[in-house]
Amino acid sequence: MSSKIIAGVEIGTSKAVVLIGEIVHGKTLNIVGMGMTSSGGVKKGEIIDFNAASDCTHKAIMEAEESAGASVEAVYLAQTGHHLETFFSDAEVTVKSSKNIVHRSDIRRLLAEAKRKQLPEDRAIIHHIQNGFYLDEELVESPEHLEGHKLEVRYWNIHGSIKRMSDSIHIINGFGLRVEDLIVSSLASGKMVTTKEERGNGVLVVDIGSGTTDYVLYKHGHVVYTGVLAVGGDHITNDLSIGLRTSSNLAELLKIKNGKASLQPKSQDDRVMLVGDLAIGDRSIARSGVCQIINARVDELFRLIGNDENLAPFFSSSQWGTVVLTGGTSKLKDIEKVAEKALGLPVMLGGNPSWVAEEIQGPEYSTALGLLHFGLSYNHVKEFKERKRGGALMEGVKKLFGI
Amino acid sequence: MENREILTPSTRIKVMGVGGAGNNAVDRIRLEMKVMDGLELCCVNTDMRTLADSPVGDQHLLGRNLTRGLGCGGDPHLGKEAALSDSESIARIVDGYELVFLISSLGGGTGAGASPIIAKIAKQSGCLVIAFVNMPFTFEGERRFKQASQSLEELREICDAVIPLPNDVLLQEEAAQESVLHAFSKADEWITRGVRSIWAMLSKPGLINLDFSSLREVFNARGGKTLFGVGSGCGPNFIRDALNDLMQCPLLHVPDFSKVADNLLVNIVGGTDLSMAQIEGVMAYITEQFGSKASTTLGAVIDEGKQQSIEICVIGTTDLGGLRPLRTKRSASSPWEKGRNRLARNSASGKPGTTVEGRKPDRLEPANSVQQDLGIDGLEGTRGYFEETGRNEFGGQDLDVPTYLRRGIRIVLT
Repeated sequence: MSSKIIAGVEIGTSKAVVLIGEIVHGKTLNIVGMGMTSSGGVKKGEIIDFNAASDCTHKAIMEAEESAGASVEAVYLAQTGHHLETFFSDAEVTVKSSKNIVHRSDIRRLLAEAKRKQLPEDRAIIHHIQNGFYLDEELVESPEHLEGHKLEVRYWNIHGSIKRMSDSIHIINGFGLRVEDLIVSSLASGKMVTTKEERGNGVLVVDIGSGTTDYVLYKHGHVVYTGVLAVGGDHITNDLSIGLRTSSNLAELLKIKNGKASLQPKSQDDRVMLVGDLAIGDRSIARSGVCQIINARVDELFRLIGNDENLAPFFSSSQWGTVVLTGGTSKLKDIEKVAEKALGLPVMLGGNPSWVAEEIQGPEYSTALGLLHFGLSYNHVKEFKERKRGGALMEGVKKLFGI
Repeated sequence: MENREILTPSTRIKVMGVGGAGNNAVDRIRLEMKVMDGLELCCVNTDMRTLADSPVGDQHLLGRNLTRGLGCGGDPHLGKEAALSDSESIARIVDGYELVFLISSLGGGTGAGASPIIAKIAKQSGCLVIAFVNMPFTFEGERRFKQASQSLEELREICDAVIPLPNDVLLQEEAAQESVLHAFSKADEWITRGVRSIWAMLSKPGLINLDFSSLREVFNARGGKTLFGVGSGCGPNFIRDALNDLMQCPLLHVPDFSKVADNLLVNIVGGTDLSMAQIEGVMAYITEQFGSKASTTLGAVIDEGKQQSIEICVIGTTDLGGLRPLRTKRSASSPWEKGRNRLARNSASGKPGTTVEGRKPDRLEPANSVQQDLGIDGLEGTRGYFEETGRNEFGGQDLDVPTYLRRGIRIVLT
């Protein structure tokens, strides 16, 4: 058995994206197929109409399987939405052996201690993300066989509503496929648009989709914080539709064609047509007004992130690196300028790695690509053991969901 | 039996301005409407000075013993107490009227506190109650906004229709150089147009006559969102202009408003040259826009003094249809009881001023239970595009509401 077909599935607010990858010998990933449908039944990252969401996800999977000419064996599924919550946990143990050499049993005790927190019945952990071990307050990657007295570990934990998560799992199961793991969107896209060096220096990745904005903070190469705001490109569209008194569809078109996040001076001459067909309701409007509406929303979004207390130490630190934007809404013109002003840090637009084919280079594919990347690392021989240990919790989740 | 009611010139309409802003709106109606058969204006306030400034003759001071005529100072509890202490005189004010327009600002103490009480008393005397209420700016602060939202929700439970006019939205209506005061007078203008349109429908002879009972039918469902808009046009393209104007009416593009109505009332006031074909064209367009599934009621009135001109007013209500568990507690939820209530209401309006025994508890209970239940959930079902999704509250603001409205940024599109 040398190759495995996996799929990264993102049931997004504006579209369902499916990428199919072939893992060869457990270490090489080839992207062999893709499918995309504009989705229905999803708002702000949450499934509100199961049948509609299910239909378009299935259609995207079918499309992807057709283009790949292969059947999917396992699915890595993205999770986002307001229901995600996070907490930090840590634990410490005293190294027991006589020579103060860290033994595997010390690590095992430590990890059990760190994951002791009980969640309410309707919540389940999606990720326990290890932020590294600290041996006598010094960051070490792998403490085994090292000498020290006090061993600490820090975890960033993400949990979600079982009902919400099982809805999306049921959609995949409804296609006769198995969900291998759930991955929070920000973790998937974050890994794609940053380099190892950037994650080492410290970087905040903001993935702005249609329904949600997912962000992840890396420091010393570890995930130290994640967050979700149920605000995205749909909100810009809705603001425009209210402000310009027009339908959502027209507002969306106008946003894509003429939208800009930065303000511009008022001018009588710079005008755009609302529809362009001169029927009842069509009229010319000042572009500056359109920009005002978009600017207010985008500025607020970044200020909400900037005011996140948990990010405060990183924003105030001088050695702090950069902010990287991704997600479909990051294609909005001048969005990085507004972000820079609101956050007071250098902001760049993220790009997917260069090995990715041209048609999936766009920022809206970062999450699905990241899912495949996770799939690859889970299937990687070296991480196999690690995966099994962490997998126990996922097994628990699966049982809860009755899969 | 139900629709036997025939409109007679004696359909009596009361317009009540409650609190400072309500008084101002009534003053404006008095200035604008020269002929007002069957329409009577009155001002109700806890502040004696504001009352004295009003040119409207029929004035009522509430809670003289509580506030000594000095107003509520923005405290809605005081406003409520004042109204309760004078409930008998309020009952006398509304006695004998079929339709009551309640106009107030929910940002103030008297408006927010007294309006639900007055509405309840008016309902008890068998009136159809339509409320126009002004909502404070979001940036005026969380407390004030919450208090207004709470009062709005209470009114939605009691009144037959509640039309909120958010200042956030009205601000968008003023020209760049003008002050906020202009936004308020714009609100008064919308109210005046709404009141005038309904009044014209009931009192003027028309191409398509609407009687009072059909008005009651439209407002049969309570507690839901209301859709309200007016548009007018004149000149050679008056129909097209009016439809454009209507679709531009800011009150149709408020996050809080329903875009689709289950019961839609369309009233057209046209000139002598208005043809049935033109009316049908207007109707086809409007029903397409607002997708009134269940029923659309049309009224068309001719204004003898006009030519090549039309004013369109749409008012719609939504049935909640069990969307909110809160509402299903209502005693009128079963079809049988609904029918019975309707009968009871109609017979009550046949004999104005009398209430049918056994109906009172129906009316009072839901309102009371809601007062206790009111929390964030009480505001569900009023959130437009994001309606079916979880709430997005952050620091006391609803992030689903456009940022520019919450920040009070005036958008200039012209």
